Amino acid sequence: MSVDLTTRIKNLKLKNPVTVASGTFGTSDEYAGYVDYKKLGAIITKTITVRPRPGNPMPRICEVSSGMLNAIGLQNKGLADFIEQKIPYFRKLGVPLIVSIAGESAGEFGLLAKTFDRFRSVVNALEVNLSCPNVESGGVNFMKKQKRILDAIKAVRCQTKLLIFAKLSPELGDVLEIADNVLKRGADGISVINTLRGMSIDINGRTSRIVRDFGGLSGPAIKPVALRYVYQVKKEFGVPVIASGGISDWRDAVEFLIAGADLLAVGTSNFVEPRATMEILKGIRVFCRKEKIKSIKEIRGSYRPRDQKGKGCSR
Amino acid sequence: MKKRFDEKAIVLENRRINDRYYKLVFSSAPLSRNIRPGQFLHIRINEGQDPYLRRPFSYFRTSPGKVEILYEVLGRGTLILAEKSKGDPLMVMGPLGNGFRTAIGKRKRVLVAGGIGVPPLVNLAEQFSSDYLLIGTKSKAEILPMAELKKVKAKVLCATEDGSVGFKGFVTGVLEKVIREEDSRQLFIQTCGPKSMMKAVMAIAAKNGIEGEASWDESMACGVGACLGCMVDTKTGLKRACADGPVFSFSELVP
Repeated sequence: MSVDLTTRIKNLKLKNPVTVASGTFGTSDEYAGYVDYKKLGAIITKTITVRPRPGNPMPRICEVSSGMLNAIGLQNKGLADFIEQKIPYFRKLGVPLIVSIAGESAGEFGLLAKTFDRFRSVVNALEVNLSCPNVESGGVNFMKKQKRILDAIKAVRCQTKLLIFAKLSPELGDVLEIADNVLKRGADGISVINTLRGMSIDINGRTSRIVRDFGGLSGPAIKPVALRYVYQVKKEFGVPVIASGGISDWRDAVEFLIAGADLLAVGTSNFVEPRATMEILKGIRVFCRKEKIKSIKEIRGSYRPRDQKGKGCSR
Repeated sequence: MKKRFDEKAIVLENRRINDRYYKLVFSSAPLSRNIRPGQFLHIRINEGQDPYLRRPFSYFRTSPGKVEILYEVLGRGTLILAEKSKGDPLMVMGPLGNGFRTAIGKRKRVLVAGGIGVPPLVNLAEQFSSDYLLIGTKSKAEILPMAELKKVKAKVLCATEDGSVGFKGFVTGVLEKVIREEDSRQLFIQTCGPKSMMKAVMAIAAKNGIEGEASWDESMACGVGACLGCMVDTKTGLKRACADGPVFSFSELVP
């Protein structure tokens, strides 16, 4: 029995819901030899900024319980390099592409959107990164003033017909309130969650184990938080949702589907298991076959709250 | 496209060989055939989440169907690794990164090793003709057992900080002595070890106009160049230790 994994997001049709979270899959063919890129539903790029960014000094990463902290700092070669060097690669690859963008001002967000709008034959959507924990201007602290988020989304919407996903994190404030506001200003969907700010101390040096005091926590450690926001956003607004946060195996993937995720962005797990996306795809198929599910539409958003009047719950 | 594998290997042997090193042997035909000196293996120690990330290891030696690594117990990952026993599975990615230059013309190869940088350079010295292997360590108890150095054809000179064997002091002192005795224009240095040692080696090389390579290491997550966690400052910009290195030429590195 073949299982229909086709995922439709407005006018965009993907062959399956499995993608990669921004910043966890390199910028071109780093995982070639481990992953058949053509089998991915879509690819989400590392965040692109207008100008090149060198990122933060070392050490940028450390392991914590069931996850890692990172303080990469949006290292990337900038917009012009991406257009020249990477767009031709992705054009040839032919896998649906979601470009992650971040600006330090509404003007920069607008410029990025305008530029990528010219490549609508290669780029299918933009993920607007409003929640990077590791940069100052344009980062999660900067965006705590909600007006800046809304100005960024408005600027992007003015410049492009591409699908727009706003990448939010609870670090910004009330995710549901912000989601409501960005959707009213033209975002097509929501991407939740980004990394959560955490800390790890070297007890001998009595200082941070990474270059900054705080870094972005990712991996299985944040999965329950991500799952909750995916569920809440989907339930409240019914818009397309890209889920990211600790998706490590097919069971996690199915949980996120049940919570209502449209796309499943596998992130830090790629670092641990380079074939994670492929294994998840296989696992979803096997699960559906066993459960006699013909299309993932049958499980997507199928979560039902427990009956609170059940035995043992009432006093 | 370079050949890369993600193997479910089986532990064949795992034991402590002295105060410092543990030796682990695992089965893997493709890795044993394809790995080169200075490349590394990225090992998922447990299938669960403790430890969560893979750990990079240089490899020490190969034999048909088998790969040997030497490691030190330094943190949670290696502590768990030390408990593995014969028959346990181990997920091993590799070979990753770029290894040492093997063809150096008619120059004399001088290898300068310290700590956990010793195994990959012993490996290089076993496979490619080398003139000197200089090993620096704290004391006699921490030097690689002599039995492990039998196949090295180079002249092995040791330096210990406490003088319990070889020269008393740092390995850089031995390097300076070699440079004085040899024609420095005819030398090529390859080094692997603590950063402070490699920096000192590079400073001596620069002063004497000697070319060479260093295996530069940073904490890694992905091991394939995706996460940008292990960047190294070079004269041509930031490079990834895992994918662009870990071996860089002295002239490339910013001291």
